[in-house]
Amino acid sequence: MAQRRTNGSKLLMTVLCVVAACRAVPVTDLLDRASQRSDRLHSLSTMLTQELDSHFPPIGRVIMPRPAMCHTSSLQTPNDKEQALQVSESDLLSLARSLLRAWVDPLLVLSSSANTLPHPAQNSISNKIQELQEHSKSLGDGLNVLSGKMGPAAQTMSLLPYRGGNDLGQDKISKLINFQFLLSCLRRDSHKIDSFLKVLRCRAARMQPEMC
Amino acid sequence: MMKKFGEVILLLLLLLLFFVPHAEGTRYSLPGKPALTRCRSPEKETFTCWWEPGSDGGLPTTYALYYRKENSEMVYECPDYHTAGKNSCFFNKNDTSIWVNYNITVVASNALGSTFSDPVDIDVVYIVKPNPPEKVAVTVMEDKGWPFLRVSWEPPHKADTRSGWITLIYELRVKLDGENEWEMHLAGQQKMFNIFSLRSGGRYLVQVRCKPDHGFWSEWSSASHIKVPDYFHRERSVWILITVFFAFIFLIVSWCIHINSHSLKHCILPPVPGPKIRGFDKQLLKNGKSEDIFSALVVSDFPPTSSSNYEDLLVEYLEVYIPEEQELILEESKDLHDGCLKPKGSTFDSDSGRGSCDSHTLLMDKCGEAKDDEQQTDRDGSQTGSEAQRQQAAWEQEALTYAHEDMISPDMSSGRVKTWPSVFSPLPQYSLSPLSQPSSLETAKQHCLSDSLFPPASLSSYLTQPGQSTKEALRSSYSDFCSSNKQPHLLHPQPDARHHLQAHSDVNISSIGHKEAPAGLQLPTVQSTEYVEVHTVNEDDMVLLHPVPSGHSHGKGCLQMHQGEDYSKVNGVDKNNVLLLQRDVIEEQVDMCPCENQDMNGATESCCTSAQKSIPCIHTTLPVQEEKAVNGYVDTATMFPLPIH
Repeated sequence: MAQRRTNGSKLLMTVLCVVAACRAVPVTDLLDRASQRSDRLHSLSTMLTQELDSHFPPIGRVIMPRPAMCHTSSLQTPNDKEQALQVSESDLLSLARSLLRAWVDPLLVLSSSANTLPHPAQNSISNKIQELQEHSKSLGDGLNVLSGKMGPAAQTMSLLPYRGGNDLGQDKISKLINFQFLLSCLRRDSHKIDSFLKVLRCRAARMQPEMC
Repeated sequence: MMKKFGEVILLLLLLLLFFVPHAEGTRYSLPGKPALTRCRSPEKETFTCWWEPGSDGGLPTTYALYYRKENSEMVYECPDYHTAGKNSCFFNKNDTSIWVNYNITVVASNALGSTFSDPVDIDVVYIVKPNPPEKVAVTVMEDKGWPFLRVSWEPPHKADTRSGWITLIYELRVKLDGENEWEMHLAGQQKMFNIFSLRSGGRYLVQVRCKPDHGFWSEWSSASHIKVPDYFHRERSVWILITVFFAFIFLIVSWCIHINSHSLKHCILPPVPGPKIRGFDKQLLKNGKSEDIFSALVVSDFPPTSSSNYEDLLVEYLEVYIPEEQELILEESKDLHDGCLKPKGSTFDSDSGRGSCDSHTLLMDKCGEAKDDEQQTDRDGSQTGSEAQRQQAAWEQEALTYAHEDMISPDMSSGRVKTWPSVFSPLPQYSLSPLSQPSSLETAKQHCLSDSLFPPASLSSYLTQPGQSTKEALRSSYSDFCSSNKQPHLLHPQPDARHHLQAHSDVNISSIGHKEAPAGLQLPTVQSTEYVEVHTVNEDDMVLLHPVPSGHSHGKGCLQMHQGEDYSKVNGVDKNNVLLLQRDVIEEQVDMCPCENQDMNGATESCCTSAQKSIPCIHTTLPVQEEKAVNGYVDTATMFPLPIH
């Protein structure tokens, strides 16, 4: 019995140490990883829009909905550098998390639509959206961890529901147009997320200027 | 006059001047459509747009840029046309919003109207192209004696990388002065880079550029020159030393090898004795197929087979074979006939050599010359008289054997006697019986392997049987088909046979004496040397025999007759499968020997004095197709009735 107790206590001690060691990952490293993830996210969305544009009906550009009609446009984000630099880290993180969270559902819609997209690069587009979903998921998890470290303000999130429905359109033209529109919104939002995180990274690494 | 002329000219000029503008005025038009070529932001805080004017339409044209932000319908005009140069619009910080779409249009206006360009939607964050890095510094540093270049730079001063607003990654390129190929290096976010592997004394150019994380590459910075100091003397001297050293060693080694080349050769590569078997192929051995190897060693034409040259075989030898049973069968003529005709007891003797003679195709072809005639005769001549008796005996024996069927194995079914019956069987097997009637067939089959064994008239001894006059066929007139090949075969049993024969022959002889002349046993001793050779086989499948002059003259009866005559000619074979031999003129009498036919001019022996029909006395009566005997030879294949009976 005594042996078992000592064994159990030893095990507990090691687990606690491990957890503590895990906790000791510096925020800068976490932010660095998050920035890299968001960088990849934005690159993917940029490639997607370019690929879709390669075979886009010219009429689509004319009747494309305005970017102001993105479902995330209601979120107030800084419009220039001065505004952005004045936002606190927590708010920046919160904004990033909100934006990221807002795209979980639309990505599902995009993924399902990509399988039947009437486009010559449909296969590649489908693969990239798949990758987008994965990166988005892992980034969201990382930001959740980060927000836990940065205080309660970082924990707040704005809800930005997507109301576009599950179907992008009935006919080929409207399908393509809606697809392209959603991708453009995603491109911008992913750039926002990336920018916020990189600002955060630089701010957190004041002692390490090489990070910026 | 002159004045007037001058005035006219002036008027004309004025008119021209007046009208020309009018004419040009028709070429005025609206300005051409301008086009926005590009918009760029160096630091994500301001941006500039440039346009390309179209044709101006001949009139002074002004350009204006209008923009509209995505959220509002307000149209603004470009705040600054000059800062960025001609045909440009500069948006300063206050006018720049990011993550906002700008809808920009350029309007060209002249007196006649204005033309709008196509609108362009831009978002500032997507058009970032920074300025080149600044303060590029290149220095030569040393690492354990080896120099390297250290390049350092700073980001463009406008780009705010400190706050993280813009993240730049850098790239530099290096090349030797005078070359065309640049060496590219991606430096990431660091602002310093080391370049190694420099050429000693080389002059290098270095350039750096940068790019935002999602944007366009900047222009290259101005080239920085750097000269690497000379350090090659150190490496070169080392290389020189090494080269000299190795050259020296190489010379020594080659000289040693040259001196000892011969002994070295034997030491390293001792001569390997190779197999010297003719026909032995090493490759086959390597392949590992033993059958091939050994088959290669086998000489195809040894031992000589009989299939190749029937002619030769016919000429060379005649197989004689007499199985015991058959001797008995030879009692009666008919039986003899039949018996003789049928090849029997073929299995009797293993080395009778019968096979070749048995081949029914043998006789079809032309007979070749007797090659061994001379040989036979020589051998015969060599024989001493003491041998005569033996020979006689042997001959008699053979006569008997001849009498047996199985000599000529007429495939009567096929209509022609094809084969020489393998007449000669080992003598011991004989049971000499005076049966004989050595049919002429049998005689024909004499095997000339051994002269002693093949006394042409030997068969006469067998003819002692009463009534068996056909024995004489066994005389020397029998054609001995010499076959040197077979000689050794048959020589073996001879001695024994001879004894047998002698005994028999004595008996026979004595018995012969009682008989009619032709029945007398004629010891074919004389005929030992007399052989009949197959001359040819004509078209009718007749073997044409050629008498070989015999050296011996002893023997009586048929033998004697052989002296003068030769029964080497086979006239034919009658219907009863009797070999009809032909006798030459010279012959005196034919006893025992199966009578030859008479086609020959001249003496036909009365060998067939037997009680049996005279048919066997071929020479007298036989209606053989004499024509076959044109040459004096008869195709023994064609059966003619044995004179025996």
